[in-house]
Amino acid sequence: MGLRRTAWRRKWGVSLAALLGTALLAGGMQPAEAKTKDGKWRIYLSLSYSGNSWQSEAANIVKALAKTPPFDKTVELTEVISGTDPQAQISDYESMIANGADGIVSFPISSTALNRTVHRGCQQGTLFFMYDATVTEPCAYNISYITSGFGENSAQALVNALGGKGKIFLSRGVPGNSVDERHTSGAMHVFKQYPGIEIAAEYYSYWDDRTTQQETAKALAAHPDVDGIWAQAGEFGAIQALMQANPDRLVPVTGENSNGFRLALANPDYQAKGLAGVSAGSPPAQSGFAFKLMMEILEGKREPLAEGERNIQYPLPWVPADKVQLCKGDTFEDGCNTFPEGKVPSSFVTEVFNPELLPELSLASALDGKPTADATIQPLPADAVEKAPDAPGINCRQCEAPEDIYSLTKVEPTVKP
Amino acid sequence: MTQSSETMDGPATTPQDTRRAQRLSSTSVAVIAIYGLVVAMILLSRAVSPAFGGLSQVETIFYLAAFLVFCAFGQGLVILVRGLDLSIASLITLGGVLSTALMAGSNDGLFYILPAILLACALIGVVSGIGVTFFAIPPFIMTMAVGIIVYSLCLGFTQGTPRGFPSPLLRDLMQARLLAIPAPIWLLLAFVAVGTVLQGYSAFGRKLNAVGNNPEAAYVAGLSARTLTISAYAVSAACAGLTGILLAAYANGATLRMGDDYLLPSIAAVVVGGSSILGGRGSFLGTVGGALLLTTLATILSALGIGQGWKTILEGLVILVALIVLREQVFDALQAGLRGLKKG
Repeated sequence: MGLRRTAWRRKWGVSLAALLGTALLAGGMQPAEAKTKDGKWRIYLSLSYSGNSWQSEAANIVKALAKTPPFDKTVELTEVISGTDPQAQISDYESMIANGADGIVSFPISSTALNRTVHRGCQQGTLFFMYDATVTEPCAYNISYITSGFGENSAQALVNALGGKGKIFLSRGVPGNSVDERHTSGAMHVFKQYPGIEIAAEYYSYWDDRTTQQETAKALAAHPDVDGIWAQAGEFGAIQALMQANPDRLVPVTGENSNGFRLALANPDYQAKGLAGVSAGSPPAQSGFAFKLMMEILEGKREPLAEGERNIQYPLPWVPADKVQLCKGDTFEDGCNTFPEGKVPSSFVTEVFNPELLPELSLASALDGKPTADATIQPLPADAVEKAPDAPGINCRQCEAPEDIYSLTKVEPTVKP
Repeated sequence: MTQSSETMDGPATTPQDTRRAQRLSSTSVAVIAIYGLVVAMILLSRAVSPAFGGLSQVETIFYLAAFLVFCAFGQGLVILVRGLDLSIASLITLGGVLSTALMAGSNDGLFYILPAILLACALIGVVSGIGVTFFAIPPFIMTMAVGIIVYSLCLGFTQGTPRGFPSPLLRDLMQARLLAIPAPIWLLLAFVAVGTVLQGYSAFGRKLNAVGNNPEAAYVAGLSARTLTISAYAVSAACAGLTGILLAAYANGATLRMGDDYLLPSIAAVVVGGSSILGGRGSFLGTVGGALLLTTLATILSALGIGQGWKTILEGLVILVALIVLREQVFDALQAGLRGLKKG
């Protein structure tokens, strides 16, 4: 089917595509009108599954924003959880489109399986805003950090901390997932340059603290002399496993944004035992940015982007140990980026806030989906949108990755290969 | 076990006495064989990694297997009475979520909150048991439904982010060492001792065996099959709750998916451990052996530098081979052969 369509496209060539493009662009330029009876925008929040802190926080942020004035009067938000099966999300999208959705903010389960439905929805005038994960359908907006180089930057930071040689573990995400593959290929690009780096074990931890802890414990049984761990989300579990195996010897760990990990990085006792590293990776705040951007386009406050230009990069959070700053209150104020022990669970993903893009949010927004008292929706800065580079199979079809796809943006190599 | 069943079944099935004793002894041979297999795997694993085969590997295996053993005990009892408990994953989550939320990082009230959580879990098990016995709902449907409801309650209660922290006392316990051995391993040994007595040697265990063997006969013999079945589900739910509490202390927090990795392995441990999936036969020591076998296998596979697909295939293959080799017929044949040798 896919092949046939491609052939058909090639046959009819540029003219038809141009015609279609103009039609769509014209449709998009008209100021849309709200479709519910009471004049509210009909917006859907479509999730993969609820059940880990990251997914819940991302969803809660959107729910909190939808309750913040003036959105509380202008937006009707419906949350739909589709599980982990793309087929379920396809049928959920179909019902949303049939119900006359003005916009769908979504964590897409597959980067390719949803394309046809998304394309149909776009033609019916529904805006699609994907956060964190992406789709390759060009009419959808992708708001994601994926292209921002988590894998290669964190790998280089680990190599630097190890002085260019040592035995390491790779704690990966979900097998077969395009995000995991992008991160890992970026990391391997760096590790391969250093013959002194030996990958002693590689395991899938499903982006979960407890799974990471147990998988790391198993790997430590075989390699108690490991020198460093490169981890995706779940990294706090890796630290717990290290502590368990040998409380007197820690090693450098790079990972994502759990509060427990950041506190550990900044802990002088742990540092003395050998812990170093950097906290980076996927911020739940992407969902809030996606939602606000969608509303600005829907309300005509911002021009829609042309198809093919709709991949937007969310900046990579980057917090090395010496940049960890404890927050005094319930938001990121004065450059703080971590909450004190006991305020939030260890697995809480800290990057829920963004003082520039999402000043409306507080801790209660991320934890319970509650709006912040006295907050009103602030316009996004004019330069909020940063175009993401092409990543074939992730945010575009039939495209080529730039040659410098794995170039380092956050850290310089301090050791020569 | 052998003696107990003789007294139990003596009056009801006199002509089968000797055959039954023989079968049970072959079950205990199977149990010994599992432990032999575990030891062999550990010794052979030295080929995989030079760090293997030592005490620290054994320690890791015991530590990781402990959680599986805790919930597999309950699963074993339910399977013994011809049931299946699919609500284990959700009850592990419930135990973890409740313990972190209620303890909230302090030790206050630890000694009444923990029993209260276990009791709450047990009551949910009672609900499953009532559905299975009084309403004759197939066990796997009943426990699956209860599991979904419990999981959804956890999801609603936590809004997706489980709050709080485990009690520091429990957390320290999971990290502590007693006589150079991690405290959880002592906990495991104590649990195994109690569980073995409860399932194999106590009146309760013998009655469960009887109900699983032949519910009608047990009823005729004056046992309340329903009450016994319900209590098996209650114990299973409480064990899952305990697993959740300890897992949350181990991982310093609860997650909503924390029980998922234990559901199928708990059933596998019971079956690999020589219990019949159809009920009526099994020993807890076998289940413990099954759990150790699965964990040892996972530890070794994790150290092999092969792709995830191959790891999973190998895991499945080894479990299959273990099941085939550990079948009682194999031991019966071996025994017959040995006897033949002695006589000859």
